[in-house]
Amino acid sequence: MDWDLVWKALISLAGIGLLLGMLLAVASRRFYVEVDPRVEEVLKVLPQSNCGACGLPGCEAAAEAIVEGRASVKICKAGGPAVTAEVARIMGVEVETDTPRVARIHCKGGIAVSPLRAYYQGVSSCRAADLTGADKACPFGCLGLHDCADVCPVNAIMFDKQGLRRVIARKCTGCGLCIDACPRGLIELVPANARVISRCKSKYLGKKASSVCRVACIGCKKCEKACPKGAIKVENGYATIDYDLCDGCLECAMVCPTDTIEIWAEMKWHPEGGEFVVPPK
Amino acid sequence: MNEAWRFFLIFFGAAIVSNILLIRFIGLCPFFGVSSSLETSIGMSLSVIFVMTMASSVSWIAWNLVLEPLGVGEFLYIPAFILIIASLVQFVEMVIKKTSPPLYRAMGIYLPLITTNCAVFAAATESVKPGFFTKLNIAYQYGFLEAVVYSVGIAVGFSLVLIFFAAIRERLEDAPIPRFFRGVPIAFITAALFSLAFMGFAGMFNL
Repeated sequence: MDWDLVWKALISLAGIGLLLGMLLAVASRRFYVEVDPRVEEVLKVLPQSNCGACGLPGCEAAAEAIVEGRASVKICKAGGPAVTAEVARIMGVEVETDTPRVARIHCKGGIAVSPLRAYYQGVSSCRAADLTGADKACPFGCLGLHDCADVCPVNAIMFDKQGLRRVIARKCTGCGLCIDACPRGLIELVPANARVISRCKSKYLGKKASSVCRVACIGCKKCEKACPKGAIKVENGYATIDYDLCDGCLECAMVCPTDTIEIWAEMKWHPEGGEFVVPPK
Repeated sequence: MNEAWRFFLIFFGAAIVSNILLIRFIGLCPFFGVSSSLETSIGMSLSVIFVMTMASSVSWIAWNLVLEPLGVGEFLYIPAFILIIASLVQFVEMVIKKTSPPLYRAMGIYLPLITTNCAVFAAATESVKPGFFTKLNIAYQYGFLEAVVYSVGIAVGFSLVLIFFAAIRERLEDAPIPRFFRGVPIAFITAALFSLAFMGFAGMFNL
């Protein structure tokens, strides 16, 4: 065996390694950058998976952004509320937890109550149907095609037996993709713990509204008067509920003459078709 | 062959004629990994040009002053060059972090990623063993300046193709592509066509 060669190999590699190691050691002293100690601490409580769900390249970037105030303490989606609480403790801020929100389609006019004025045979898409004026007599109602269901990433939008689209609240993550998909702007995010929901966006008033749909909001303002908190406003011909003020007393639903305002406890998907409503506790 | 012309041939041959991505198929992971947006590909390109030039010149020095005189280069070049590249990237990262935070932010995560990039290793190896990865028997040793020009050429070729490809991929986002081909599959097909186009340069000249 050529021991000479072995020694040469060992020495040359060790020499290069030692030289580079010394270079790095000197550099780490010389080019030391002061970092906020909180960056280190925040980084420790983050999940370290570098998943990128926050939109930043990795947990280290996220920690820096949080400490510099460029990002909210709630930025880590992967960690959930536990990580948020830890980060908030390090940063010394309070977090208020948001109530989860779910999408709701503000139309109740199914085939039984809202007549068709034509028979639509065009492209199977709400956006296309809306351009033609669509088959539904009500120009504001849900067309019952599938634009919203197509964009839903969790398949939370189904048909009910009325030929309308419905959001299944327990599946909905509140991402809001369907809001832009609806050409008639019927979908809105509503707090998951809301007790009542106004399910019409018809701008027609009185007789004109009820002539195209039996459950349309006729703009009678009874709910507005009945609400003890002043949470309901009738504008543009339909009732809108301000969920910051609503305390869930259900007065509005009681007085609504067309049943447009609906008590929404937990709606469950029935295997036979349609939804039924579980009475509120 | 006068001096300037030789440098030009080395540069052009490294950048275009035997392009590292499309002709030699080295460094394909960043080619598909960071080419999804123009911005990241420019950051990656900057870092690659920087690191490749540094790594090749230091590797050339190590080869010609230490490994070759001792007669251990033939079997020791892989660990030695990897050692050099890895520590150099670390060193460069520290220096940039201290001296130029904006540049550090622009290069961001790509700088440490390059540590394990085979294209950098290929450039370092080929600058001391010309034609090693193209399987060409070139009995020619680069001088120091030539090695630097050669590695800059490789890095520029890499950047050029990466940026072109990122621009194409940004357009592909809006193109009406069948659903099965969206994303990476169409990127592979595009890269293959791109490679075919570059094969037109093959044999034009080489060093």
